[in-house]
Amino acid sequence: MKFDMDYIAHHNELTETNPYFKLFLTIILLIVTLALDNLYFDVIIFIVMSIVILAIAKISFKSYLKFLSLPMAFLVITCIFLLLFFGSGQVIYETGIFGIVVTTDSFHYAVYTFMRVLACLPCLGFLALTTPIAKILNCLRRMYVPKILIEIALLMYNTIFIFLNEIDTMRKAQDSRLGYNTYWTSFKSLGALASTIFLRSLDKSETLQFALDSRGYSGELPIYEPRKKED
Amino acid sequence: MLEVKNIKYSYNSDYQALRGVSLKVEKGEMVALLGKNGAGKSTLFLHLNGIYEPDEGQVLIDGEELKYDKKSLLKFRQKVGIVFQNPDDQIFAPTVEEDVAFGPLNLGLPMEEVQDRVEYALARVGMTGYEKTAPHHLSGGQKKRVAIAGILAMKPEIMVLDEPTAGLDPQGVVDLSKLLRELNDEGITIIISTHEVDLVPNYAQRVFVLVDGQLIGEGTPKEIFAKPEILQQAHLKVPIVTELFQQLEEEGFDMQDDYPLTIDEAKDKFLKLLKN
Repeated sequence: MKFDMDYIAHHNELTETNPYFKLFLTIILLIVTLALDNLYFDVIIFIVMSIVILAIAKISFKSYLKFLSLPMAFLVITCIFLLLFFGSGQVIYETGIFGIVVTTDSFHYAVYTFMRVLACLPCLGFLALTTPIAKILNCLRRMYVPKILIEIALLMYNTIFIFLNEIDTMRKAQDSRLGYNTYWTSFKSLGALASTIFLRSLDKSETLQFALDSRGYSGELPIYEPRKKED
Repeated sequence: MLEVKNIKYSYNSDYQALRGVSLKVEKGEMVALLGKNGAGKSTLFLHLNGIYEPDEGQVLIDGEELKYDKKSLLKFRQKVGIVFQNPDDQIFAPTVEEDVAFGPLNLGLPMEEVQDRVEYALARVGMTGYEKTAPHHLSGGQKKRVAIAGILAMKPEIMVLDEPTAGLDPQGVVDLSKLLRELNDEGITIIISTHEVDLVPNYAQRVFVLVDGQLIGEGTPKEIFAKPEILQQAHLKVPIVTELFQQLEEEGFDMQDDYPLTIDEAKDKFLKLLKN
């Protein structure tokens, strides 16, 4: 199964919930979780938000695990570094390699960092998995985030799918001709892919500009307000 | 009415893409621009609403010369809408309705009017109900429809479509032809570029043939498809139906210089031949 976060964001039970509410709840929870130095609180937040995502938004367990697994890798690596190379204080474990030791301090750092980030993940997931990007951007726009940032995000969001599609197709085409058969050909193929995709992106950006101009683009993306449904 | 007078355009000093093209399309007409890939069709189209400025020559819309300042460009781009070949190049907004609203909003219309136009345009292309969908979750044919809706919402007088049938499945092609004919009946002038000759006689009242940046032929589909030398030069063929009747003639049936171009014409001709 392919993990398509965008598709999930559009198709879950909370998609239509007020995006402001979701955005603010996420921000507040993130701040509180980061500010409070309390392991119990972290665990509670993790469990509560996971339940919200799985039971209320009805996102499949598999997708949720995939969402967690990516940042989890970074988190684990970071915490291992914290555990081994930071802090001072009483030594509680000696690894025996280059005199690297775990101290009470570093142990404390590692555990607290791990738990705090762990609690933040489902908070962020709550927003990312249930809210389409378009809605988040719309909220930010009404909250006076600079227009230029929003427009860049919006254009990037849309072109990224075309970009990824293009890469996928080219990779398959190269693979079909054994472009990734050995290490050496893999390097060469990847290089060719990168340069071609760069040129093609330039080309596409010009066409996009023409298409936008054709519809009277003035250098600023206008905001559309859909009609409120009366029901 | 749209008129192009002796347009020349080069991308660089070695390559002249358009070498003096003149053509005239009357109001309410539906015409086809035939030519193989690289003949200059897309380049010509980008001149029609002032994306490219010709090195020489003029573009006239309703007898008014196209000017390249901001204000006139906006006016002309409202009048002449271009539907790009690849809908991915054109659709950029995160939802269908926002994309369709883009053109009308740029025209500075009130929100109320824009909402009406979005509803109208989506209904017109049969995409009502997809307002909130993300474009990358649509199929190729649906994206094409959204791209057309985006242009329709600007209420253009002239609609220019660059290879509209490229990449569509057979049913998609049929639906699209129907839609374009309906729009034409409602008074929109339509210009279509293509190299798929089979459909051309079904919709086009007139045909232009473009080869290496020059027009080498102009006339009704009947006239153009009766000139093998033009078709050969343009790397085109006659419609498959016509080919059948040309081969029948070689078998000894007299066609009296009247070769059917469409299935309907072919049916009548067959019945006539069978009765004799």
